[in-house]
Amino acid sequence: MFNRLIAAELMKLKHTKMYLLVLAGALPANLVTWSGFLPRVTPDGVRAGIDLQDMFYRQGMTMTILAPFMFALMIGYIVSREYQERTINQLFAYPIPRVNILLAKLTTALLLIFVTSALSSVSTLATALVSSFTQPVDTAALGAGIRMNLLACVLSFGTVPLAAALSMVGKSVIPSTVLGALAALVTLIGEMGHGARGFLFPWLMPYWPVRELGQGLQRIDAAAYAVPGGIILTALFAISLVFCIVYYEKAEIHSGS
Amino acid sequence: MTCILRTEGLTKRYGGKTVVDNVNMTIRAGDIYGFLGQNGAGKTTTLRMLTGLIHPSEGNIELFGTALQGNRSMAMSRIGAIIEYPGFYLNLNAAENLEIHRRMMGMGNKESIDEALAIVGLTGAKYQKVRSYSLGMKQRLGIARALLHRPELLLLDEPTNGLDPGGIKEMRQLFLELARKRGITFLISSHLLGEVEQLASKIGIIHGGRLLEEIESEALRRKTRHCLEIKVTDERKAAFILEQKLGTTDYVVSGSGGLRLYEYVEEPERVSAALAAGGVGVRELSVSGDSLEDYFLKLTGGAKHV
Repeated sequence: MFNRLIAAELMKLKHTKMYLLVLAGALPANLVTWSGFLPRVTPDGVRAGIDLQDMFYRQGMTMTILAPFMFALMIGYIVSREYQERTINQLFAYPIPRVNILLAKLTTALLLIFVTSALSSVSTLATALVSSFTQPVDTAALGAGIRMNLLACVLSFGTVPLAAALSMVGKSVIPSTVLGALAALVTLIGEMGHGARGFLFPWLMPYWPVRELGQGLQRIDAAAYAVPGGIILTALFAISLVFCIVYYEKAEIHSGS
Repeated sequence: MTCILRTEGLTKRYGGKTVVDNVNMTIRAGDIYGFLGQNGAGKTTTLRMLTGLIHPSEGNIELFGTALQGNRSMAMSRIGAIIEYPGFYLNLNAAENLEIHRRMMGMGNKESIDEALAIVGLTGAKYQKVRSYSLGMKQRLGIARALLHRPELLLLDEPTNGLDPGGIKEMRQLFLELARKRGITFLISSHLLGEVEQLASKIGIIHGGRLLEEIESEALRRKTRHCLEIKVTDERKAAFILEQKLGTTDYVVSGSGGLRLYEYVEEPERVSAALAAGGVGVRELSVSGDSLEDYFLKLTGGAKHV
């Protein structure tokens, strides 16, 4: 049953700008990654080759800066359009528990996060593929990059229920977008400093696996902040998810809804 | 006949304001129930409670013989509804909107989409984006969606809103046909007396949140039928004359020398002359009976918006 709900959710996005948004979210990371092709030399004065780990780091950094805004916008649209287009009457009259409808929407957002993340690493993966013809592939860096992306997706999803909650209460995409924009700004400032203390800000937690790929950054122990940061993010996820479930279950749909 | 829908003491309050007050409604299988009331009378709120969109403050709803509370999914799978305004995903075409509905209802049969569109006459606009639909077309599409999963009960809130007179007539014929051929039970809310009068087999009149009367259309027609009230010297003889000389049996003897004649309402002088010629004295002759509109106004205390 859940599959058909997700299929219906994905179908609702047909002919919308959502897929353009996914591409727009993925493009900057690809562009930034190409800077890895700029000529570089090692401390020994020898020309350095392509550094896959560095490319993944740049891709991850760009993605995690944009993620709060992009993903808040995505879930905001998925949730609020039902109110805006007045399809909420029909949606809540289906013989389906409302919690399932909510979970289908959140799962759709998670799928979009994964797709955006996968598309953002296209140029890095293409580079790895092309360079494999001339030099051995750095499988360790490739594995670390894929792991980083997966972990960043999961951590990015942690703040999605909060954006969903704002959209359903505000019945508009604006509250979640404003939150996302502010969070993206704070994330940008936090990432510029490269400090681990920023992990305490839930939207900066996805930067944790990215930071692990930064040259030299991994030497500074981030665990001291990653653990409490993880706890804060988990708490935020749990509280906002429970709020969303209760709100959906109790919501009364009136004429103005 | 099986009772499809029953409400008991259904009440909705917002703060101190009672919007729906102790509504006891009964709809049997095959009924076309006209839910009549002026704007703001409580029709939509009642329909919203019936579909679980809002929670009653008090009272019970029984659908298909079981309480709605705790059996909502079962009940909703047997109901089709348009509440207030049929909302659609405007970026999608009609077929895609119905496909979403089909998936949400867990139906396997894709052909039902074409069938539903054909019923409401939207086959030609199947691949047209709903964004470009007129309000009337959206209403039709809403009805197609409500019909798609072959419901036993259709709840339609002002379904003819936005339709032109031709469209209203078509819809009326469609509802009557669906009730006759498919045995669908209807609950149609409206503020249009004429619409309800032509369609409903049972009428519920709601005003100020209270269901003032629930009456079979036939009984209402009898109540609101125009007639000649005649007081005569000999009612038996008068009845004989009405049958023999005027050839009508459409009358009732109301007692104490009174007769109520439902024919010749426009020709009282002919009736009077026939009775006089037969030797029956006419003491009093008057036209009586309310129109449905008068009846409604009397019942609601003169509400003027209907």
